[in-house]
Amino acid sequence: MTRIGPLLLCICTSLSWADGHGPAFGFGTAVLGAGDTSIGSAFMWRSGLIMGGPVTSYGITSDFQLSFSAPFDFNSGEHPTGRVVALMPGVPQAEILAAWRFHHRLTGIGTRFESTLYLGSSISTQLPPRADGPPLARSPGFYAAAATGHVSRRYYVWAGAGYQEYTSFNGRDHQSNSFLSSLVFGWRPPFLDKEYPKPDWRFFWESTGEWSGYAWRSAQAPLGSGHNHAVSTEAVLPPRQPANPLPNPTGIVILTNSGGSGAYSGPTFLLTYRNFAFQTGVLFAVWRDPNGTQPPDRLRAVAGLTYYFLKGRK
Amino acid sequence: MTSGVRIAALALLLLATPPARAEYLHIQLKIYGLDCELCARGVSASIGKLAGIESVNVSIKTGMLDVILTRGNKFKMSDLRKRIRQNGFRAMEAKVTAIGQLSGSKFEVLGANESYDVGKRDAAEGTPIELTFDVH
Repeated sequence: MTRIGPLLLCICTSLSWADGHGPAFGFGTAVLGAGDTSIGSAFMWRSGLIMGGPVTSYGITSDFQLSFSAPFDFNSGEHPTGRVVALMPGVPQAEILAAWRFHHRLTGIGTRFESTLYLGSSISTQLPPRADGPPLARSPGFYAAAATGHVSRRYYVWAGAGYQEYTSFNGRDHQSNSFLSSLVFGWRPPFLDKEYPKPDWRFFWESTGEWSGYAWRSAQAPLGSGHNHAVSTEAVLPPRQPANPLPNPTGIVILTNSGGSGAYSGPTFLLTYRNFAFQTGVLFAVWRDPNGTQPPDRLRAVAGLTYYFLKGRK
Repeated sequence: MTSGVRIAALALLLLATPPARAEYLHIQLKIYGLDCELCARGVSASIGKLAGIESVNVSIKTGMLDVILTRGNKFKMSDLRKRIRQNGFRAMEAKVTAIGQLSGSKFEVLGANESYDVGKRDAAEGTPIELTFDVH
């Protein structure tokens, strides 16, 4: 039942992600036009873990957009920390994200130089199981990011970075804070540079660098006492790791198998046609340095389909 | 009786004569910043909502917006530029065909209450004419 709920939700709302204008994994700058609405689904895969969920965005002005996304785990397994894609949570959370394109210089036919600030807030919707004890308690998160880039008919380049901070409802359990940066190069090949309203193809090479810190939990929480509402995980989780036996003086236990650093790079592409955008791609691990013995995260994949309602355009 | 017929005939003539209105007929406007199919679609949808628009075509290769207007419209060029700005793009130079009146080098699109410096033209002043001119 736990699997069917999110799946049904995705199918029902099924149609697209982020704003579909930019990179699949990294930070982009584009926002929706005033009055536009986009709705869709994005699916992410990493370390054998599949996540997916609805994403919807609304353009309040041509420089200000609000988005809502709620990715769910489709299978179980210990969850890597940090974001897979820049504009969607990397753990099962519902997030509201505001995008403000605060800098916007139109430099020629098809060219723009622009910068966008993102601010978001999220709350856990599922409690991913952990091999070293009960799931961490539900917690709110806050996200701040910025991106800048140059857009043209032939080339695209974007750079951006964001920081995810978690707090704790119970004052003890704390998920890993994380930092994500990205550099994206895009290219529209001349032979695919067609006139509107033909399909519009763009290819990207995306690179991301990330850091996520240690998670910790209350020293009072006995092993296995968590209120894990996810599916049974006994068969798929690695053997339980011993918890850090000595809580620090503040009464928390640092979870040694959490957090780490890594760099990823790979190709993605974006196709927009009529009111649809389809986006997919993979990232390969260039360098990984987990803090503990977390499951390998060598390959990441993402796919998303978005539908745009442009009739409300002001 | 005769004067009554004359007055009625004159009134009929006045009513039947279309007012000396002026209007935009065709606008080709260059837009900066339009880079993708979706942006063109959005701009096209937005411009198409303005009153008096018959058709809108957008070229993302040339950045050209081609607008044909209905007869008798009360369309304003300033509204078009404002709409493009609201869409996040910049309206640049344009080629406009409109009906209006010349007054020296000034061409006034009366219905829209907008005027342009079009240089010296060989046309009678004060008479509605159709003119194509560049706007920078």
